[in-house]
Order: sequence, then structure tokens, then C-alpha cells
Amino acid sequence: MSRGASRLGLLAMIWLAVMVAATVVGQHSLQWAGVFDASSPDYVIFWHIRLPRVLLALAAGGALAASGLAFQTLFRNPLAEPYTLGVASGAALGAVTAIELGAGATVLGLTVVGTGSFIGAGAVSLLILGLAARRRFTTGTLLLAGIALSLTCSALILFVQYRADFTESFRMVRWMMGGVAVVGYREVIWLAPWVIGGWLLLLSLRWDLNLLLTGEEVAASRGVDLSRVRWIVLGSVSAMVGALVAVVGPIGFVGLIVPHVLRRWLGHDHLILLPACMLGGGAFLALCDLVGRLVIAPAELPVGVVTALLGGPFFLWLLLVKR
Amino acid sequence: MSLLRASALEWSVGDRRILGPLNLDLELGECLGVIGPNGAGKTTLLRLLAGLERPSAGEVTLEALELSQWESRARAQRIGYVPQLRPMEVPLTVRELLVSARFPYLSPRQFAPSERDFEAVASAAAEVGIESLLDRPLSQLSGGERQTAYVAAALAQASDLLLLDEPTTHLDAGNRRRVASLLLGLRRRQGHTLVVSTHDLRFAGRLCDRILALRGGVVVECGAPDVVLVPEVLESLFEAPFRLWEGGDEILPVLELEGDGQ
Repeated sequence: MSRGASRLGLLAMIWLAVMVAATVVGQHSLQWAGVFDASSPDYVIFWHIRLPRVLLALAAGGALAASGLAFQTLFRNPLAEPYTLGVASGAALGAVTAIELGAGATVLGLTVVGTGSFIGAGAVSLLILGLAARRRFTTGTLLLAGIALSLTCSALILFVQYRADFTESFRMVRWMMGGVAVVGYREVIWLAPWVIGGWLLLLSLRWDLNLLLTGEEVAASRGVDLSRVRWIVLGSVSAMVGALVAVVGPIGFVGLIVPHVLRRWLGHDHLILLPACMLGGGAFLALCDLVGRLVIAPAELPVGVVTALLGGPFFLWLLLVKR
Repeated sequence: MSLLRASALEWSVGDRRILGPLNLDLELGECLGVIGPNGAGKTTLLRLLAGLERPSAGEVTLEALELSQWESRARAQRIGYVPQLRPMEVPLTVRELLVSARFPYLSPRQFAPSERDFEAVASAAAEVGIESLLDRPLSQLSGGERQTAYVAAALAQASDLLLLDEPTTHLDAGNRRRVASLLLGLRRRQGHTLVVSTHDLRFAGRLCDRILALRGGVVVECGAPDVVLVPEVLESLFEAPFRLWEGGDEILPVLELEGDGQ
């Protein structure tokens, strides 16, 4: 327990270091005097371009990792991730439809594309929750239903893309690579309550999630209310992922890999893992975004490309080295 | 006093009735054995008694209150269950398994198990003699050790009633003996109320006050071991020939194999 807590402290320091580094480092080198001088361009770059972008990456990455962790435990499946039940495909369908219909304005603090993806994610989530409410639906069946829903949305996305013109089609592909490039705090403020609320709900289930590691049958016999746990996990993950996909797009890999890496390092206690995922996932995504900003400067690599390019080989190495 | 009561209990899948109708009264401190061929409904009966499944008809009451009316944690403080089939890969150590069994006593606001929980874990581990295994991962234990660990976890749960589904199945002779001794010891020392389903007839006869023989979901016979464990009942139960075998001061029904008595 104490080892877990001290490692969590170390992770918090890494998180803080990444936040500072990702805000300070960039294509444009900052002058410290300028950062605190409101009339200097460095002030705008630091406070209004880099910091909100880093904060968005920290929040989105953390939420993705925590969601992935909760799904992997709930479904007892190492391949489960935040998008397993089709939330991302629903969001993508909403987004490409909004792009196809031609959109530039903003609704409720989100771009129309963001609103479209939020509606898509919400619709898929409600469908999944509706299926989960059926008494005879086991967790395994739910997983399959999610995959079926996801594939259906993907087919519809291809249909919309096929009908789109060249520019729209490019925008759609670009949206699906994900990105945290924002100006100002609007997106961060929009995302924060979803992420904090969803994460706290998951944290309230830490004992239940620990017990689910022993299997549903044993967990239920120890007093875990399986349907309640399922509802809360599905609901909070859908809310978090739906909200974040609307602003950063479907960034892959973070939700799948970060929980695995942290479990290897910290063990299986969700009281430690849930904060660890928030910190580790956030730091990983912010770091990937930093790499994406620097590697082909002055152009930027979409963060979704970097997460998989960095994370894939790293995870493979981890599998080969340990145990 | 009756602790658990099943009245007109039935379990069906679609139109097919798997179990029942069945009436059963379980007294405090009693040990009930459940025997019967594969698919007789033993596991279904145990799961219904544990409150893991709602009956299709009839009811199970714990101290006169229907099981589904119990809040799940409160129910788990009274009824423990050791299933036969468990996931192969449980990424916990024995200690973590035992601590997690204290779930019914943990409040959602609590950030660590209390002193009382750790005491319960320590005494459960001592009772089954697995103190030396506490920090070993479950995945590294032998089948017998793992079974013992799950029994210890159920003891850490500190319920009045313990339901065990085929606790000795798939174990070799040495481990079977170990688990059987463990349960016999529990009976003698602590007076737990137990329901044990098993294919080990000798073990059932030694452990149980009463044996329920199930076939096709229906009770064939229910009574003291010397009433149920006789060749006539067993032959109709398993559709296989049995004969009495005398060894020392014990007379046991044993399965006849082809070529016996030649």
C-alpha cells in the first residue's frame, strides 16, 4: 500500500514536470520576461496557446486512461478500451455528418462538428445503456453488442465519406486523427466538469472494481451489485469519452495501453490505479502532443499518430522485457 | 431456528424447468450436503440459495425476509459462496483476495480497510493454515492451495452461512483430503452452517448432518446420510450399480465397476 502511494507521488511529480515542460518547450523559444508581460507575444503563446492546449491534453489523456482501466476491469478483457462500445464511432459519425452538411458556427461553446460528435457519442451511449438494462444481457454480450454497433457506425462513416467531396473528405480524415490544438480555455472549461465528475464516480466504485477482478460470480456473492456497477461505469465512461471526443477527436491507444503499463508498475488496487491513470494518461498525451509539435516543425503531427507511434513499440518492448 | 428457507422454489430457462419445485429448511449450525448426477441442478440450487439468481417461482427467505429484499452487502454479511468455476486468471495475491472479501463491511467513503478487516483476514488465514501463502500470487498456487485460499476468503467474509459448490472436484487425493479436513475442522471447531455440493459420497457422509439427493432438478431423497447413502437410493440417483463395502467400522456404498467380483 505504502509502496503504491509513494509511486503515485512520483507519478504526480512526473505529471507536473510534463505540464511545465510541454508549456515551456515549443517551436518558439520563450523569453521569461515576456511570459509575464501582457503586451508581449510570449505572454499570448504561453498563457493562451500552449497552457490551454497542455491542460486539454492532460485532462483528455487522463480521462481516456481511467475509462480504459474501468472497461478492462468491468469486461475482464485486456483489449477493452474507452471506444470498445462504439462511443468513438458514434462520435465520428456525428462529426463527419456535420462536416458533410457544412458547418463552421458554434453551438453551446462547441463547434458544430464538436456538437455533432457529442450527439453521435450520446446516441450510441444511450443505445448501449438501453441494451445494458435488459436483464438477460451479460457483460460479454454487451461487449459484442458494442462491437456490432461500432462496426455499423463505421460503415455509415464510409458511406458519408464516399458521398463527400475532396475537401470535406480530407477534413473528415484529419478529424479522426485527433488533436488538442486549441486557442483559449473554452474547450478546457467545457471538458473539465465531465472528466472530474466521471472520474469521481469511477473512484466511488474502487472497492467494487477491485472485487470484480475475482470474477462476476465471486464479486456478486461478496455483495457487489453488478447491475449498479455496470450502469455507473458505462454512464461515466460514456459521459467522459463523449465529451472529450467532441473536442479532441478519437485519440487512440492511450486508453488501451496506459492502464496496462500502470498495472505492471503499481499492481491492481483501483484506489491507486484510478488516480495513476489520470496522471499517467494525461502526462503521456501531453508528451505525445509535445513530440508532435516538434518532430516535423514547423508543421505539426496529429497527436493520434504520435500516441500509437510512441506507445506501440514501447509497449511491445515492455512485453518482451518484463516477465 | 430456521436460518434459510426455500419454499416452492423453481428455476426455469424459457419453458424448461431446471430445478424444483423444492422446499428446504436450513437450521442454524447445520451442514447440508447436496449430491446428484451432473446437470441435476446442484449449482443452480446453491446460486439461488446464495441470492445470485432470482427464482422463476417460489422464494428463498433469510430470517423470514426474501433474499432479493436484502441489500446486497447486508446479504453478503450473512451468506458466503465459493463457486466451483472461477476465472483462471485472477491477478491478485492471496492476501488481496482475502482483503477483497471484506467488501460487505467496507463503506464507499472509506479509503483503506480497517484494523478489524485485517484481523479478520489474519484469523481466516490462520484458521485454514495458509499464512505462509499470503503474499503469493493466486496464479502461482496449486489447485488445492487455490481452493483453500477461496475457502479462507469466504471465512474472512465472516458470513453465518457458507455455500460451497463442489469444493473437492478436480483435486488430487492429497488436496482432496486437505480440503475435506479443513471443512471437517470448521464444522467441529466453529459450528458453521454449511451447504456443500459434492460428488465425493464418503466426504458427504462424514461431513453432513443431512443429504439432499437431486436428480433432474427434483429431490429424490433428503435425510440423514445413512438414509440417503444406500445402494438403492444411489442406484436410482446415478443410474449405476452400487454395493456396500465394509472397511473397519465403516460401511460404505461404492460404485461397482465392470469386472468387480471376478
